[in-house]
Amino acid sequence: MHEIGVREVVHFAGLTFNWETLCMTWLTMAIVILISWLATRNLKMIPTGWQNVVEILVSWLDTQVSSMMGKRGLFLAPFIMSLFMFLLTSNWLGLIPTLSSPTNDLNTTLGLALLVVVLVHVLGVHMKGGHYIAHFFKPTPVFVIINAIEEIAKPITLSFRLFGNILAGEILIIILLKLMPIWMPIPSVIWLAFSIFVGGVQAFIFTMLSMAYLANAVKEDEEES
Amino acid sequence: MIDINATLIAQILNFLILAGLLRAVAYKPVVRMLKARQDRIQESLDKADADAEEADKLLAEYKAKLAEANVKAENIVLMAEKRASEEREAKRAEVKREIEQMRKAAKAEIDREREHAVQQLRTEMITLSMAAAGKIVAKNMDKSENEALISDFVKELDKDKIGDLPC
Repeated sequence: MHEIGVREVVHFAGLTFNWETLCMTWLTMAIVILISWLATRNLKMIPTGWQNVVEILVSWLDTQVSSMMGKRGLFLAPFIMSLFMFLLTSNWLGLIPTLSSPTNDLNTTLGLALLVVVLVHVLGVHMKGGHYIAHFFKPTPVFVIINAIEEIAKPITLSFRLFGNILAGEILIIILLKLMPIWMPIPSVIWLAFSIFVGGVQAFIFTMLSMAYLANAVKEDEEES
Repeated sequence: MIDINATLIAQILNFLILAGLLRAVAYKPVVRMLKARQDRIQESLDKADADAEEADKLLAEYKAKLAEANVKAENIVLMAEKRASEEREAKRAEVKREIEQMRKAAKAEIDREREHAVQQLRTEMITLSMAAAGKIVAKNMDKSENEALISDFVKELDKDKIGDLPC
């Protein structure tokens, strides 16, 4: 592991890229696609073994999405699924020595958060039209300031929560290894186990919040409670 | 540490590519399979329902047919019995009539025989009377002897009398 916080940078077409983040992202993508491909490679009419698990997950996800977003939101199910799998794999990838999480880079988390928020607004305007814009000015037009702050806060909280958790986890792994003598691995192991938990929870939170935001935009008015 | 650069754009693109690929590779096939299975199950259930209905209908039909057949068989048996009894009656009447006829014929025969016998007796009696008369004439007896002879003869006749024939 190189120095904490210093990133290897490449320049391409006048733009700056964090090389390690990109590589790790591609690795994550490869892993996710490989797992999905293996899981859904040999689907049969009569499900056996692994196929049952995959089907339960997919139908659970569909139920979640349609209960949160209604029938109109069902086309977002694969997006949500990809988001969760990508984040989970990313978060856990950093726990493997010599690898790092793509999500320990603010670029990744902010990118995803912005993607979600932009998607929310685009879908909102597309599906609800003027009604969606009007809801920023409720109950009184003055509230537009508060609503605007809320909308800006969404991607920031979303991205920084994930980024902070994962980066802190990885930093602490390094620090614990440096702090403790090599014959005392217990704190580091405990922290590693906790990081697995945190990685799962953060991926789940990010996905659930994205779903909630998207539901707000997609759900039909009469479905809102 | 927090330096935002073009990686952000790249990550968004990366993720979009990933989402598209996952949708094509994993999500779609699973959903398609689930849908296919749902259709299949629905189809099977519909078919089973239709089959059960059909079976019920067939059963009802057969039951009705069986009942009808039972009634018919009963009718046939009844009719056969009736016809048999009728036939029996007819036969019995015929036999009775025949017996009656035979009896009549026998009676007629007997009558005729008796008539014949009476005739014969009468003839014989006349012959005998003639013989007796001849004897009387030949003997030339007196009156008392003659009477005794005739009464003897008549007695003789009475002894051999058959039935209550007038003779």
